[in-house]
Amino acid sequence: MPTGAMKAFIRKETERILAACTRCGKCYEACPMTRYSPALEGAEPQTVVADVLALLREERSSPQAVGWASVCVRSGSCVPACPENVDPKMMVRIARMMASGGLGGEKRIPARHDRDYYDRIRAFGKLQLTEEERKEWM
Amino acid sequence: MAERVTFWYGCNVLRHGDIIHSCLDILRMLGIDARPAGGPDYCCGTSKDENLTAADGMARRTVGKFNALGRERVVAWCPSCHSHMTEFMGQAYKPDFELNYFVDVLHEHRSALSGFLRKPVPMRVLLHKHMGFNDRVAVNDKVTALLRLIPGVEVVDDDYAAPGYMCALLNTVPKAMEEMNRETLRRVALHRADAVVTTFHQCYREICGLEAHANTRAYNYVHLLAQSIGLDYVDEYKAWKKAGPDAAQLIGEQRLAQVGVEFFERAMLPELVKRPLGIDRPKSDGKS
Repeated sequence: MPTGAMKAFIRKETERILAACTRCGKCYEACPMTRYSPALEGAEPQTVVADVLALLREERSSPQAVGWASVCVRSGSCVPACPENVDPKMMVRIARMMASGGLGGEKRIPARHDRDYYDRIRAFGKLQLTEEERKEWM
Repeated sequence: MAERVTFWYGCNVLRHGDIIHSCLDILRMLGIDARPAGGPDYCCGTSKDENLTAADGMARRTVGKFNALGRERVVAWCPSCHSHMTEFMGQAYKPDFELNYFVDVLHEHRSALSGFLRKPVPMRVLLHKHMGFNDRVAVNDKVTALLRLIPGVEVVDDDYAAPGYMCALLNTVPKAMEEMNRETLRRVALHRADAVVTTFHQCYREICGLEAHANTRAYNYVHLLAQSIGLDYVDEYKAWKKAGPDAAQLIGEQRLAQVGVEFFERAMLPELVKRPLGIDRPKSDGKS
């Protein structure tokens, strides 16, 4: 398996979403999280979706597009709301990856730098599993 | 011949050895040959949105390791791992295995499972639900059904589901986390429930803070299955949360030395003393 396939898949998904989305805004209307972003106060659903698509095209990253991507917690309420089966959860997830700088470009969503993340998991593992279990399972 | 599966428990559930051990015992009681795999070397990489080069490499490595194990099914415990494998890893790198979710496996085997659930667990519980992930696996319905197999357990009918698919991402939207905690406590009181029960370990990590700070008992559904079966693994994580700043005394010097006192205090203790967002502090004793 050659490396880089996941990035290639994300690029392909981005193209699919850009081609399929009609900017109707139904996904945004169904989202339970928009009220938590000050940038989205009074926002027009169609405008926010258009801005997310512009982010996916790497044209611009508006505060509204970044605001929506920042508060998405993958509730998935947008998925059945979409009349075109675009999978808006995937759309906003990729937007978040881009706004986080995951595919290069400017970081508009700050990364949660937790230098102890994996060491913390290993440390809890030391407290919870035997040495033999860690050797065989981890 | 027993079905051979890989039990992919994930990373962060390593805080809860009791859950991992109980899941393994249950799978084996159901006649499934479960080979555990997890921890950072099997990480799905879902938390690496800001570094997709790393996420890509982790996806390739983990799919390759599961392929090399040569088992037909991977049974995931963690909803993040399951989702990331379904939505990204498995789309990019060819898995030579079928992916299932642990709740689905128990639900498939619920008839056999019910035969092991012999000890009554008299408890009226509120299931802590989320909106997400249910399009992949109907966990809200299926965990309710599993809990109702346990003699003595009464699951209250309640329609509240918090945003998100588990509590992890709610931590990035503190206001939403506050509201979730308050609403959960309100519903516990409304239904006169004895306890809140979570589906996922990560929610349990947050919700058992309610037992430590809001006098509301908390369990993961596997804890109640294990109690009814008669498995007696100790839930140390909850004890540590309840002990808060005194958790080190429960862990003991010898085990603490394994992880390092300085590391424990810097990287582990903060989550053990963390107060759930949105929970009122006890009435002031006059000190500021």
